[in-house]
Amino acid sequence: MAKKTYDLLFKLLLIGDSGVGKTCVLFRFSDDAFNTTFISTIGIDFKIKTVELQGKKIKLQIWDTAGQERFHTITTSYYRGAMGIMLVYDITNGKSFENISKWLRNIDEHANEDVERMLLGNKCDMDDKRVVPKGKGEQIAREHGIRFFETSAKANINIEKAFLTLAEDILRKTPVKEPNSENVDISSGGGVTGWKSKCC
Amino acid sequence: MAENSESLGTVPEHERILQEIESTDTACVGPTLRSVYDDQPNAHKKFMEKLDACIRNHDKEIEKMCNFHHQGFVDAITELLKVRTDAEKLKVQVTDTNRRFQDAGKEVIVHTEDIIRCRIQQRNITTVVEKLQLCLPVLEMYSKLKEQMSAKRYYSALKTMEQLENVYFPWVSQYRFCQLMIENLPKLREDIKEISMSDLKDFLESIRKHSDKIGETAMKQAQHQKTFSVSLQKQNKMKFGKNMYINRDRIPEERNETVLKHSLEEEDENEEEILTVQDLVDFSPVYRCLHIYSVLGDEETFENYYRKQRKKQARLVLQPQSNMHETVDGYRRYFTQIVGFFVVEDHILHVTQGLVTRAYTDELWNMALSKIIAVLRAHSSYCTDPDLVLELKNLTVIFADTLQGYGFPVNRLFDLLFEIRDQYNETLLKKWAGVFRDIFEEDNYSPIPVVNEEEYKIVISKFPFQDPDLEKQSFPKKFPMSQSVPHIYIQVKEFIYASLKFSESLHRSSTEIDDMLRKSTNLLLTRTLSSCLLNLIRKPHIGLTELVQIIINTTHLEQACKYLEDFITNITNISQETVHTTRLYGLSTFKDARHAAEGEIYTKLNQKIDEFVQLADYDWTMSEPDGRASGYLMDLINFLRSIFQVFTHLPGKVAQTACMSACQHLSTSLMQMLLDSELKQISMGAVQQFNLDVIQCELFASSEPVPGFQGDTLQLAFIDLRQLLDLFMVWDWSTYLADYGQPASKYLRVNPNTALTLLEKMKDTSKKNNIFAQFRKNDRDKQKLIETVVKQLRSLVNGMSQHM
Repeated sequence: MAKKTYDLLFKLLLIGDSGVGKTCVLFRFSDDAFNTTFISTIGIDFKIKTVELQGKKIKLQIWDTAGQERFHTITTSYYRGAMGIMLVYDITNGKSFENISKWLRNIDEHANEDVERMLLGNKCDMDDKRVVPKGKGEQIAREHGIRFFETSAKANINIEKAFLTLAEDILRKTPVKEPNSENVDISSGGGVTGWKSKCC
Repeated sequence: MAENSESLGTVPEHERILQEIESTDTACVGPTLRSVYDDQPNAHKKFMEKLDACIRNHDKEIEKMCNFHHQGFVDAITELLKVRTDAEKLKVQVTDTNRRFQDAGKEVIVHTEDIIRCRIQQRNITTVVEKLQLCLPVLEMYSKLKEQMSAKRYYSALKTMEQLENVYFPWVSQYRFCQLMIENLPKLREDIKEISMSDLKDFLESIRKHSDKIGETAMKQAQHQKTFSVSLQKQNKMKFGKNMYINRDRIPEERNETVLKHSLEEEDENEEEILTVQDLVDFSPVYRCLHIYSVLGDEETFENYYRKQRKKQARLVLQPQSNMHETVDGYRRYFTQIVGFFVVEDHILHVTQGLVTRAYTDELWNMALSKIIAVLRAHSSYCTDPDLVLELKNLTVIFADTLQGYGFPVNRLFDLLFEIRDQYNETLLKKWAGVFRDIFEEDNYSPIPVVNEEEYKIVISKFPFQDPDLEKQSFPKKFPMSQSVPHIYIQVKEFIYASLKFSESLHRSSTEIDDMLRKSTNLLLTRTLSSCLLNLIRKPHIGLTELVQIIINTTHLEQACKYLEDFITNITNISQETVHTTRLYGLSTFKDARHAAEGEIYTKLNQKIDEFVQLADYDWTMSEPDGRASGYLMDLINFLRSIFQVFTHLPGKVAQTACMSACQHLSTSLMQMLLDSELKQISMGAVQQFNLDVIQCELFASSEPVPGFQGDTLQLAFIDLRQLLDLFMVWDWSTYLADYGQPASKYLRVNPNTALTLLEKMKDTSKKNNIFAQFRKNDRDKQKLIETVVKQLRSLVNGMSQHM
């Protein structure tokens, strides 16, 4: 492409235990579809979706990670480049909620200090099998000062809202840039200032 | 004496008269006296004289006699005087008796009148009785006739009518009532005809109503005999079943046992009631009606009517319900009523003489058979459920066997069944397409994990997987294929069973069945499964995970095809060495699927690369690079590295091809970016930044992301870019132009057209600064050089055009 077809690029990351529905959440947001069969993600994958916020075209590059421990080394290498991270647990699986604290520590260890975070309690359509009360999710989110949504990829509940909210939070922290400036700004380089990935 | 002589001589007649008077009773005197007057006009005077003379004679004689008898007379008088006393006594007695007798006689007189009247009556009665004795038999017979009519014994009634006409009526034909009777007989005959016909109609209605039951019974009996035979065959087959599989697959035995149990249950059910057609339907109306019409000499009318009505009923029976094809019961009802119809005809054919002929039933059956075949062909084409088609086939076989048992030819039905078999296989293929789709839908596309020996054996029992290395590994361990592989293998065998089911009872040889099974299985593999696999592979949202696993899965399915051939061989018991045995072509299915999956992997990877490339945000007019590769490109490289790092189970060749394909695609995309017609100006700084990105690509290629590449094979993907960028950054145009066309040229892979396009973009950049150029010698010199090189490159390009 000769010129960019978007105004801003936001890189998001989905993390959480295996089987909580990370890929399904992403699939619902990017393709508005749902696959009932559980296919375990291997390594890393991503989808790109363009949204418009406050008059700006923003490309969301959303990385989908494998929750299995054997892919830990690969997936943590993507934390550094993320501007926003969604921590996903399964309301019908108490273990996945308990592990949220572990995932939060991973973020502190591998991600940028100012990364935007969000907690998602997925599969909220399966209330009859609920194990984690909504209040618990709200509590841990409050303790860490992050946003919280209960979602359902299957029933399409709160999915788009979660992603757009995260994008808005990131946008709020993004420096204002004149889109039509003719001046060459050497210091900006490529991408968004302050969010550029720092490659070794 | 003289007087006597005179008298005798003169009137002899008077003498005779006097004699008659003396000898004849008083009652007869009249005619005698009349004769005296009739004789002469004065004869009576003479007669009187004669009479007086006769009287005097008699007086003299009396006197003599009195003198003679005087003493006796006196004695007598004396006696008489005595008697007087007695007589007085007697008189009293007699008077008294007479009085009493008179009293008694009064009653007798009265009764005498009655007696006389009775006598007259008796005479009349006797006469009447005589007459009646002639009439009564007639009346009795007529009464009997009426009684027989009431009791519906019409044949007897006809006999009675005949007797009346021939024997009884001639005796009493003079009477009016007899005339009335004679006039009434023809009407009675017509009544008998009508009533018999009405009975026949009721009978026809009855057999129509009972057709289902008759047919059902007949078909059950035929099925009973067949089931018994099938049971024996199944028992024999079970022995083979035990040796059917190397891996001791249990399915065949279980299947046989189920069928056997079902057969036994059917036998029990059939024993509950065995009815003949006579038990269900009263045929006597037909016999009576036929007999009556024969007696009446109208047999042909009856036959014509019966046949006509039965043909109508046949058409009704042969007309199926519009939704017959929706359920097996619809077909069953259709068949049972047809069987019922023809069983009745067959019965009548054998029981009556001439009412129904073999030629007639054959004609009827041929008409029916054509109709049945047309109906079955039409309705079976609506069936989309293979189980229903199979049920239809079973019913049709029982139907055919039943009617064949009654002597009706059914070969055309079996021919039809072969058509239906092809359709059955088509519906099976459709059904199995759904089965395969479901299997693929439910697969998680990850290797099958087993935690202990028991689980391991379960998988082995379903799918013939043999790998000594895996067998030696300790638990937990994983099979290389995913769940869909054993499921598909099992379902292919189920398909073979289902396809085989249709051929049972169709009287075909094992060789033919084997051939048919292989053809069906080939269709399943080469068409249905192949189509499902390709559709799966081309699903819009399929991921690399699924595609990689599909490649592994198809490899193992391909290896399992030989076991499927053994499976078919064991089922049909046909030797592998038989000439012209059809082979399974499934191998090509799996090879094709694997190639498609591989191609799809390359496509998906390239699509991911495209998504990254679209994120590129070069500042094409930057004066200096920022010293680091572009962010989007680093992400791309890292992504590719991760992919090839985690898909270690991808077959080596496939991984290498995928990696090469990705690098080539990336290289092409980067080149296209430079040459994009929408990109008008490029600065040297931008070119230098671009070069930093290409360096990263080259580093990736040389890092051996996938094992097995020879030397720098992978880096060749970026050689075009490398030489182009070197040419521009070193500004080595004199060398390029001088060496152009030489095999040893340093810039052999740089296309003049490409160089020209890029150089013109850089010239435009210089033009933009034209004002300042006049004031700076270096810029002016560079501009002149660019113009010179542009001209030379154009001549090269034009030269190439001439060659084209």
